[in-house]
Amino acid sequence: MDKLLRIDMGMDGGPKASEEPLGNYAGLAGRGMTSAIVAKEVPPLCHPLGKNNKLVIAPGLLSGSHAAQSGRVSVGCKSPLTGGIKEANSGGQGAQVLARLGYAAIVLEGKPGDDTLYKIVINKDGVDITPDNSLKMMGNYDLIDTIREAYGDKVACISIGPAGEMKMAAASVAFTDVEQRPTRHAGRGGVGAVMGSKGVKVIVLDDTGMAARSPKDPEKFKAANKAFVQGLKKHPITGEGLPSFGTNILTNVINEAGALPTHNFKTGRFDGASNISGETQSEIMKARGGMVAHGCHKGCVIRCSGIYNDKDGNFVTKRPEYETVWAHGGNCGIDDMDAIAELDRLDDDYGLDTIEMGAAIGVAMEGGVAKFGDAEAAINLLKEVGKGSPLGRIIGNGAAVTGKVFGVERVPVVKGQALPAYDPRSVQGMGVTYATTTMGADHTAGYAVTANVLNVGGSVDPLNPEGQVELSRNLQIATAAIDATGMCLFIAFAILDQPETFEALVDMIGAFTGQDLTADDVTELGKTILTFERDFNSRAGFTQKDDRLPDFFKAEPLPPHNVTFDVKDEDLDRVFNW
Amino acid sequence: MASEPENYSTLNLKLTVESDRLSLFSSLLGQGFTLKVRTRCSLRDLLCGQLGVRSDYVDQRIQTIFLDGKTVDDVDTAVIRRDSTLALSAAMPGLAGATLRRGGAYAAMRRQISHQNKAGHDSVANGVVMMKLFNLVALELGPGLLKQGIWVRGKHMENFFKKVPDYFWPGCRAAEIDGTPLTVEKIGHLEWKHRQVFLKLEVKENG
Repeated sequence: MDKLLRIDMGMDGGPKASEEPLGNYAGLAGRGMTSAIVAKEVPPLCHPLGKNNKLVIAPGLLSGSHAAQSGRVSVGCKSPLTGGIKEANSGGQGAQVLARLGYAAIVLEGKPGDDTLYKIVINKDGVDITPDNSLKMMGNYDLIDTIREAYGDKVACISIGPAGEMKMAAASVAFTDVEQRPTRHAGRGGVGAVMGSKGVKVIVLDDTGMAARSPKDPEKFKAANKAFVQGLKKHPITGEGLPSFGTNILTNVINEAGALPTHNFKTGRFDGASNISGETQSEIMKARGGMVAHGCHKGCVIRCSGIYNDKDGNFVTKRPEYETVWAHGGNCGIDDMDAIAELDRLDDDYGLDTIEMGAAIGVAMEGGVAKFGDAEAAINLLKEVGKGSPLGRIIGNGAAVTGKVFGVERVPVVKGQALPAYDPRSVQGMGVTYATTTMGADHTAGYAVTANVLNVGGSVDPLNPEGQVELSRNLQIATAAIDATGMCLFIAFAILDQPETFEALVDMIGAFTGQDLTADDVTELGKTILTFERDFNSRAGFTQKDDRLPDFFKAEPLPPHNVTFDVKDEDLDRVFNW
Repeated sequence: MASEPENYSTLNLKLTVESDRLSLFSSLLGQGFTLKVRTRCSLRDLLCGQLGVRSDYVDQRIQTIFLDGKTVDDVDTAVIRRDSTLALSAAMPGLAGATLRRGGAYAAMRRQISHQNKAGHDSVANGVVMMKLFNLVALELGPGLLKQGIWVRGKHMENFFKKVPDYFWPGCRAAEIDGTPLTVEKIGHLEWKHRQVFLKLEVKENG
């Protein structure tokens, strides 16, 4: 993983690929790599769909090795949804295969002069870029079937659906999973629209003949990886809760906390929550011959995913995640698990961010386009997006655009990106992160609950109510660093509770890279990434006023606890003071 | 509130089910059921002293607790009152999970919904509480409580029979209502709304 692959899609005579050494980007991976390249090479004021934007796809630091949970891949660019820097990441096979092919990143640059659609094939022999207009407006599922016929069932694919081709601001980039299904997505911020603007439909990755990446100290690495896996397996969250119920284990609990945004953030409780909970979902999956525990990439031992079948036992989609179940479920008043699974399948097929789509449909419902709870109407609205009808293009450009078009005041977005599944009035510390993260409202921006263990920012008194800003800062720093490793963020729980698992992770990274990682290194890496991103956003025109939640969170008390978001603006402005 | 209107009629439902069907009751346990208990006590006293839950299980397994929707940090000081709603869960993933965890490092991030004991007005030392069991806790504590018997709202019972997967029925070997046997197939078609059901399970090993 010692080279960059640059593909200029706008060259005279057609797209051209070139390889180059990492140079100043050496040592970076994942979000560290994508944000560094975007911050350094993309003009902040460029149009996100123009020739000067770049789409960077970077595997994690340990991707392609035998390290457990090392299969996250980052996708970065200037976001067409937020207008700021974007890093969206995904599971699936892409990170592992790309890393084994030796690339620390693929950088798509320039823009074709016409609307020709391209297919890129990368294998040990090089890069082949060919026009293929037969793929136009193909859904991700049909596309991958076509690719399988041509290249077999071992390749990994990075692709866009019709939403990306139509350059919708909610379009995702899909990554195939272990079964070669396009179920994993870098969902947020419209990264799929940028790939569409480059004229790239699919990147086929074939690592045949390539070996797994080798650690500097194989014996130490093997021992540390084994201890790391044991730690994940024995922890109640990563070893029991997530494999049994997936991330949707959260629905019942968040609902009980009064923090489940319902009916477009009107209330914090949903009467139908039990019908779409992880517990109910798992029983449905078991009864239909689906799979309750399933990894999204080789090397995953947590296996929070699963297989969701229809009543006849046929595959519909992977297990819809908590955020998807919330977005299409409680947020839209829908308590039908089969309808939510169908919406998830459509999102994956069209190539759309499930959070943005659920939020946009919720806003449309508030605007009178459909009634809350009407699952059939929600499915039809999503099909409009897939068709690219005028109504579909409005919704496919996200909650903010939808709110403007339908005159809705309660539009849950920060920097133009929809809030995820946790109401910031109930969990105010998350509201601090939603407001201030460089990415627009993003629950994963401050997700690394290891911050305290890593001693990022020193020790914060958890009972001090004024500590929320410090906690959010430390979480964002730790998350930026972990995003750069390509490790699944779910490892954080075992690290938080089990010192020996944290030690095993540190040993594993050290044995792989040959460099000892200290807590200070982690903090510096996280701060460096955030500094790149903040600087880019500042040059793109973002100011403190963009680090705010919408007014209604301060003005409208959220039932059942009737709380409002009361963190002061001046405190929000302290988050990045370090 | 835990109580149903007084004019709701009650009935006793006893089901004999195979052990591998027990997990199907998780959704029912998550919707809430009531128990008659001694109130004005600590949460630990309720769980360990009255319901027989091991103290180490409370300390290690039950990591997320809500009392009347508010997050509990200390099981020894939180007071159970008449008509309280108590929800129990294992540790949860995500930042939200870490934030809601009792006594966790991120408790400050949800201080607005943290439980604070208030002066009680109830003079009654006995009453009902509504309990909700989620995820691993439902799987682990649920069977014991179901064998002892729990009070379930009729609409929840009806919803359960309506939505339970088909494979439940072959594993439901017998049913009795108020001591009178009836065919298993019939219970899914009965009118349950406007009733309070005392549900008790007898568990048989598979085979």
